[in-house]
Amino acid sequence: MLPDATRVKSLLSHFDGVEVETTTLGVVARVAAADVPSALGTLKASDLDFVMLVDLLGADTGEEIEITYHLRSFSRDEELFVKTRLPYDGVLISVWNSFASALLPERETAELFGLTLAGHPNPKRLLTIEGEAPLLRKSVAIRTLEEVRDR
Amino acid sequence: MTPDPRDTVLDHGLLAEGTFEPGEAPAGIRRAPTGIDQLATEHLIVNVGPQHPSTHGVLRIVAELDGEEIVNAEAAVGYLHRGIEKLGEHRRYHQLATLMDRGDYVSGIHGELAAALAVERLMEIEVPRKAQWLRCLMSELNRIASHMVWYGTFGLDIGAMGQFLYAMRDREAILDILEEVTGQRMMFNYVRPGGVLEDLPAGTEEKIRAFLRTIDGYLDEHDALLGGNEIFLKRVRGVGTIDRETALSFGLTGANLRASGVPYDVRRDQPYAAYDELEFDVPVGATGDAHDRYLVRMEEMRQAVRMIRQCVDGMPEGEVMAKVPKVLRPPAGEIYACVESSRGELGVHLVSDGSDTPERFHYRGPSLFAMQVLEEIMPGTLFADGMMLIGSVDVVLGEIDR
Repeated sequence: MLPDATRVKSLLSHFDGVEVETTTLGVVARVAAADVPSALGTLKASDLDFVMLVDLLGADTGEEIEITYHLRSFSRDEELFVKTRLPYDGVLISVWNSFASALLPERETAELFGLTLAGHPNPKRLLTIEGEAPLLRKSVAIRTLEEVRDR
Repeated sequence: MTPDPRDTVLDHGLLAEGTFEPGEAPAGIRRAPTGIDQLATEHLIVNVGPQHPSTHGVLRIVAELDGEEIVNAEAAVGYLHRGIEKLGEHRRYHQLATLMDRGDYVSGIHGELAAALAVERLMEIEVPRKAQWLRCLMSELNRIASHMVWYGTFGLDIGAMGQFLYAMRDREAILDILEEVTGQRMMFNYVRPGGVLEDLPAGTEEKIRAFLRTIDGYLDEHDALLGGNEIFLKRVRGVGTIDRETALSFGLTGANLRASGVPYDVRRDQPYAAYDELEFDVPVGATGDAHDRYLVRMEEMRQAVRMIRQCVDGMPEGEVMAKVPKVLRPPAGEIYACVESSRGELGVHLVSDGSDTPERFHYRGPSLFAMQVLEEIMPGTLFADGMMLIGSVDVVLGEIDR
């Protein structure tokens, strides 16, 4: 079920540059990267009751990294997506104080998109070893040019 | 009261007189014989896994122990990282199912279904009714097969052996059916965007009915064999309790969340395939301990049997595949589709740019979130119970590392 977009917008109105729209994904709120922890905290404490962070993922748009937070409210049976954008050398601020489920996905996202983690209790790499390229960036090919030539 | 002479010894210990100065050991002696202080304990760091029979694949738990008790635990993963999400960006939409099979490899149908649902919703494909029912039938068969693996190995983690053999007997019966329908025992590639690969072959329905005739009795036997065992109950009752708040905060889904008292089931609350036409109950636990998680999963198997019966009896006639293009090119957009897999909410987050490959393909594995909570619930338990807790949350490493 979709939450009321105007209600979400009014809840987040004291943050700068918040946009709320309805897309194929559902209701998406765009928030500045620095505001994400407090915005998610606001949504959790509000009457919309978004108690669970279902998922956290990054995506390389070709210009910057887009981080998506997927929130769910069980009492109202509603889902909300919060998106933010980070530059390639950006800092991903942890939201684990509000949602502990972000702990490992944040480590994974930071590692696979080459971001820096801030405010995280255990900011280590999760899946790959030290020195591995940020694999999910579009600039990292699944085969290097040399490997393609050798085929 | 006269003082007990033993108290003096304990109070001052063997170093009561003099100071501790071992100095340099003389030649021929490796170290000064400082003796053992029997009262001091030292924390020990133990690496469990990645090659360890109780870690369900290649999970590595780094545990800090004070004697037998775990004081801190960290899950270290990545040993099975194959880059499924990156590979998905280089595959056509039809080919995502093979990648999903290799995510949660114990219940592959659910992964395929999540990927197919995402593509269908993005392209607005109408799936034939018969295909929807076949999807439910295969999902529930796969759920029992997957829960049988959990049930067998959960007992192994506690030290029981017999139930594993019986669980494998029942799992093999299901895998035979799945092999007959899909051609594979585990990597099915059966659910495709638009429907399913094939109808049930001749004779399979009778085989499923034969399985249904025995499974009820077998499930009661399973429950009596492990769940009726006094040692088992002593080990799981009241251990590893995950309360409602912790479960929500750590993003648990599936049986782990329901055992903590949150009645959320994707099949009922966001119906997909033909689940809105089937009757089933959603079992919910009371306290959220390891025993509740056991009870919820056992009841889920009974409910799955109930649904399989309805699927076989009410299977509609018709096509099993909608008319879809050979090369799928969904319109640009973003979609999240989820199914209730054996382990919880298995989601696929797709970003399409209108081409024949996804722009971004993200796999939300319920096991990743179930494993996070181990770091929270393991401290304070005994080391042997820690192994039991890994089994109780039912993780599959294929969908943690992806």
